[in-house]
Amino acid sequence: MDVVSTLPRGNILQKRFRLLGSLLALSLVAVACSDSSKDTASTSGSSDGTAAPVKGADITIALGSEPTSLDPYIVDDGAERAINDNIYETLLSRDAGGTLQPGLATALPTQTDDTTWQFKLRDGVTFHDGSAFNADSVVASINRIVKLVADSATDNDGFYKTITGATKVDDLTVNITTAGADGVLPARMYWLKMIPTSAETTADLSDSLVGTGPYKFVSRTVGSDIKIEVNPEYWGDAPSITNVTYEFVAEGGTRLAGLKSGKYDLITNLPPQDVDQAPQSANVQGQEHPVLILDTDEGITADPNVRLALNMAVDKQAIIDQVYGGFAVADASQILSPSVLGFDADLSAVVYDAAKAKQMITDAGLDGKTIQLVGEAGRWLNDRELLEAIAGYWKAAGLNVQLDILEFGAYLDVLFDRTNRADAIFVSSSNDLLDPDRQLSTYYQAGGVGSSNTNEELSGLIDQGRQQLDPIERQATYEKAVKIAADGSYFVWLASNSDLYGLSTRMSWTPRVDSKLLVKEMSVTS
Amino acid sequence: MGRYIARRLGQGLVVIFGVTIFVFVITRLIGDPVKFMLPLSATPEQREARRSAMGLNDSILTQFVRFLGDLLRLDLGESTYVRGHSALSVVFDYLPRTIQLVALGMLFAVVFSIPLGVLASRKPGGITDRVLTTLSLIGLSMPQFFLGFMLLIAFTVKLHWFETGPGPWTSNLVLPAVCLALPAIGRLSIVVRSSMIDEMNTQYVKVAKAKGMTQRRIMGVHALRNAGIPYVTLLGWELIRALAGYTVVVESVFNWPGLGFMAKTAIKNQDFYLIQAIVFVIAVIVVLLNIVIDIAYKVLDPRVDLQ
Repeated sequence: MDVVSTLPRGNILQKRFRLLGSLLALSLVAVACSDSSKDTASTSGSSDGTAAPVKGADITIALGSEPTSLDPYIVDDGAERAINDNIYETLLSRDAGGTLQPGLATALPTQTDDTTWQFKLRDGVTFHDGSAFNADSVVASINRIVKLVADSATDNDGFYKTITGATKVDDLTVNITTAGADGVLPARMYWLKMIPTSAETTADLSDSLVGTGPYKFVSRTVGSDIKIEVNPEYWGDAPSITNVTYEFVAEGGTRLAGLKSGKYDLITNLPPQDVDQAPQSANVQGQEHPVLILDTDEGITADPNVRLALNMAVDKQAIIDQVYGGFAVADASQILSPSVLGFDADLSAVVYDAAKAKQMITDAGLDGKTIQLVGEAGRWLNDRELLEAIAGYWKAAGLNVQLDILEFGAYLDVLFDRTNRADAIFVSSSNDLLDPDRQLSTYYQAGGVGSSNTNEELSGLIDQGRQQLDPIERQATYEKAVKIAADGSYFVWLASNSDLYGLSTRMSWTPRVDSKLLVKEMSVTS
Repeated sequence: MGRYIARRLGQGLVVIFGVTIFVFVITRLIGDPVKFMLPLSATPEQREARRSAMGLNDSILTQFVRFLGDLLRLDLGESTYVRGHSALSVVFDYLPRTIQLVALGMLFAVVFSIPLGVLASRKPGGITDRVLTTLSLIGLSMPQFFLGFMLLIAFTVKLHWFETGPGPWTSNLVLPAVCLALPAIGRLSIVVRSSMIDEMNTQYVKVAKAKGMTQRRIMGVHALRNAGIPYVTLLGWELIRALAGYTVVVESVFNWPGLGFMAKTAIKNQDFYLIQAIVFVIAVIVVLLNIVIDIAYKVLDPRVDLQ
């Protein structure tokens, strides 16, 4: 059965049919790639400022992954939060700029002593199952998380392990206690979702989502979608959108296709290069900070002048333009966002000066020497492009760059290695609580999971900041800490890429700095 | 026949267990699901505590013995990615959609490849033959990822004929099934064509023609049946390859949440238990499919001796 030998020979006819075949393939490609007049390119916030929001609309949101679990206490999963942030609420909330506000508590907490915080609760709030929200609910919520932390059964130990318990003072007053002074506690209560007393002993909340929020859980089809609907008994302002369907679409191209075809009203993680293709897009300066962690103790990066040169060699504006399509802001020599406590407004980014950087490298006798840059590809936006750009800048400064882009598991091994630190390790650090403690403890503090320095003074300041209770004192402490790292060039700070969203033409929404997708803040115009 | 099936099932069991044990060894040697489960800022103490809680700090031998015992009771552990669900239940949640996709895809493959191949074989070297052979070559050489996205953009975004994601098969499954089928149609139609050409040149066909039998009857009843064995062999291969491989790409592009899609996610998150469960279930299906294909030979050609 020799296929080739049975194919007829003959030149002109053969060529004609090959041509026909190629034309057919090309026409398929042409239909796919053609520019249709239906595609509008607009990068502004609202499509039609004069149209009034419609009440009772249904929207569909596409998330990049399916929640691994719907229990907010057990997992640390953005997809789970996208849904549960609408079903559950927390004692405190944050405004558009990130400032702590009352939530289910009527005011910020007061302190009865160093380890006890007192919250006054809102009256007249009920859960979706009709039970009342009061001090007993708060105690149940705290008890549940404390037990999960003790059993190592939650991914959220880092957020809550300082909490020891809660006691009811009266129906609308509750005390929460911590192990030692914990200045982060109010921020923790902006994160911990309140559950009814009946849920305290439930092993997995995924099957019984009952909260106080503006939306109620309706249904879940595994692998397909989750539906929520408005809660008519909600204590706050009635939201305008009635039904929300969340679909899970892992492929970015498929999400964009769904947005363009009108299937989705909102998609997350819109790549900067696709902004022109979305009917509308919206962006906000969020919490993403790609940085390079430099080894300050050993090797080629032990010299602070070299570290400064490594910062100076990178053209941050070019990175903002080329890697992030303009949707990024240079980091002011710190890993914190302006919306986070401790941000030092007096610091600024290292000015790009390729010639001076090259001079400093030569002066240090390192011309032609090798520096190792370890990273990964695929987890964070355009990370490969970013790393290759940085390698290029460092080569221009006279160094030989060994760029190791590793598989994610191998990369984590390098990031977590406490015995040998690589010269430079890439990571993108973000902030959930909008409190500086976690980011600084992880990357700035000696012995931290991802840190490459052994500065005792810096470490002491970070511990101090965590334990101080007055936000003004904490701000001063953290500013000192951040300045030490900036002056010593402990990192190469780059540009914080914006959170980019794709919206349908009828969707009206301003993204939040804490990246919560709160449907009560959304509206549609048709 | 019965003894044959029993023997094949016995061999199949060995294959299934062997494959599952192999996956166990490989995943234990290279992976650590805890790394992926906890956030980056989790301390080493937290990670160790989680490992102990999951029994991952026990010696490899202890883990292996526990694994064997569980395997014999068909307990493949709890998924670390889909929290709180047993790995096997996750597989069975996602398997039906893959079966739907592969069924429709193979249906398209058979429905289109046979007429295409037969048409092409009627006049080898003729115009029809050249056009259809070229189309086949295009179909089987285009990478499925590229083909999938082109189909998606052309028929869903621009023409709005279809939708993506899970939904009724008429609007959501046709496009992924076509994407899965196109390379198979390419390969299968070429086999049909060559087999038919070979059959038409045999003695018995010449005799039938001499007896005055119509071309149609010769091709349809006799030649096609004998061309069946190589076709069924390739079809079986396509079916297994689709189930155990191509669905990963096709399901990802069209957001059809089946087992292929889940396999990609499980590997990305180094969820051992889910990976083992997926491999286990697919191994079972492949073994059973192979047995069915061998029996199909016997049906097609009674002379075949199943030994």
